[in-house]
Amino acid sequence: MEELNFDEMRNQITLLKQKLDHQEIVNDQLLREVTRANMGTINWTKYKSFICVAICLVIYPTTMLYMGIFSKAFVIFTCVMVLFCAYGTYYVHRPVDRMNLMTEDLATVAKVMAKFRKQYNQWLYYVTPSLLIPWLSWAVYEYAWKDVPEGMNSWALTIPILVGAVIGLLIGYYWHRRAVNAADKIIRQIEEN
Amino acid sequence: MDIKEQEFSRMVRENKSTIYTVCYMFSNDADEVSDLFQETLINLWKGFESFRHESKLSTWIYRVAMNTCISADRKKRKLSSKVPLSMKINLYDDEDHETKQVRQLHERIQRLDLIDRALVMMWLEGMSYEEIAEVVGISVKNVGVKLVRIKEKLKQK
Repeated sequence: MEELNFDEMRNQITLLKQKLDHQEIVNDQLLREVTRANMGTINWTKYKSFICVAICLVIYPTTMLYMGIFSKAFVIFTCVMVLFCAYGTYYVHRPVDRMNLMTEDLATVAKVMAKFRKQYNQWLYYVTPSLLIPWLSWAVYEYAWKDVPEGMNSWALTIPILVGAVIGLLIGYYWHRRAVNAADKIIRQIEEN
Repeated sequence: MDIKEQEFSRMVRENKSTIYTVCYMFSNDADEVSDLFQETLINLWKGFESFRHESKLSTWIYRVAMNTCISADRKKRKLSSKVPLSMKINLYDDEDHETKQVRQLHERIQRLDLIDRALVMMWLEGMSYEEIAEVVGISVKNVGVKLVRIKEKLKQK
């Protein structure tokens, strides 16, 4: 027969409460709902990129070729570059899209978001400059330095191209930050819980 | 979050160990303890608005938790709400020394019937006979008698 010690039971219940005092209540569902809201921001960035690509591919080549501002080679290169960027966006977003937020365990969600953030940043720091610098140089050359009408200053013609590039960069960077911040927020919330 | 929700959230945070302990002692596995914990919080929220502070908050929380666990036990897993609300702790599978101690207590208390479980838990937590009587709804004298019987039962097993 077991010799029961009530003091021991008291100690055990105190032990249990001490253990529980260090725990946080996890509202898994709430966390998933918050994550889903942040995922909306990430998806919206993707859709905006696709909309821009679609508009560019329809309007840009026809307008540019019609107006004859840029050479055919440059217009084709631009379209290929835009398509490549669209594929890059699709590729980086693919694991996020495939993930079922309501059924996937939160550790996997955090892992996928961390990978997404890393790839998004790599795109910004490595791919963007390596595409943008040659493209911009070529655009400046085509617009301001090649076949410049007499009396026009090439440096002055360079300014609108550069202003446009800076505006484009700022918009792109803003979208980038929004997506990365949303991913950060998801990771932080999961880690905190 | 409005003031009421903030107040409720604070109350839950401050008393989560008590609530979870009650749920744990009335459960047989980790899923059940989560279900009971969640159901108790729902019932606490439902009653929070009408709680008039006529009794101590801790007594009221105990009463709601006990009633939830005792009645939920009868209709076993009929709860349909599936909002996972729990704590990241597994008192059924963890193998550290402290958890083993806690499990030993769980096994001892599980041998008792539901009302006796409630009584002995409150007694172990150091609640007065008056408070226990208020939670369970029996006389103070009856609490004393029942506790003597429970202690005997525990010793026998």
